[in-house]
Amino acid sequence: MDVIAGLFMVLGAALVLIAGIGVARSWSIYARMHSVAIAPTLGVTSVAVGLALSIRSTTGYVTAFLVVILLLVTGPVGSHLLTRAVYRQMQSALDSVDELARDESSNS
Amino acid sequence: MTAFAALAFVLLAGGSVCFLTRLFRGPSIADRVIALDGLLVTVICGIMIEVTREQSITSLDTVLIVALAAFIGTSVLARYAERRSEEGGGD
Repeated sequence: MDVIAGLFMVLGAALVLIAGIGVARSWSIYARMHSVAIAPTLGVTSVAVGLALSIRSTTGYVTAFLVVILLLVTGPVGSHLLTRAVYRQMQSALDSVDELARDESSNS
Repeated sequence: MTAFAALAFVLLAGGSVCFLTRLFRGPSIADRVIALDGLLVTVICGIMIEVTREQSITSLDTVLIVALAAFIGTSVLARYAERRSEEGGGD
């Protein structure tokens, strides 16, 4: 069981490394936000699964589960806030289709 | 377990170096916020791996605090960046 837990931990750490490489080498802010999203979702989930497989305590299970749920809930919310700030700041779309501006102009 | 933990720590160190590069180089505030968020996620993974290596859950509650601080920091900095751009500050 410890070998499986260790493999899950190494997998999670490798996913964090992949997210870091993506953040360091992407060319656009949107691409960076896309590549950083793997770290708090799949990376932390793998590490928490490894922790729950290795450690023998109910408090450990519950805390790891709470951390995973917290990160899965707050990740998209924070990403949404940041994307809106970036959109208002740049005042330009990446390609020719700007759906948010189109919807806002059709609503008002 | 110790060998797996050492390998995972090496991988996390590489990831944090990448995040620190983006934190120093990032042209806008949003890039730095993203890099800071990734660094906090790296800290969360490191604490979890350390808990598993030591087989004691005394420092596992820290993970919850760091996760909550990461979300609050991201949202506050996003609101700050949005408000500053609305005032026409540029950057």
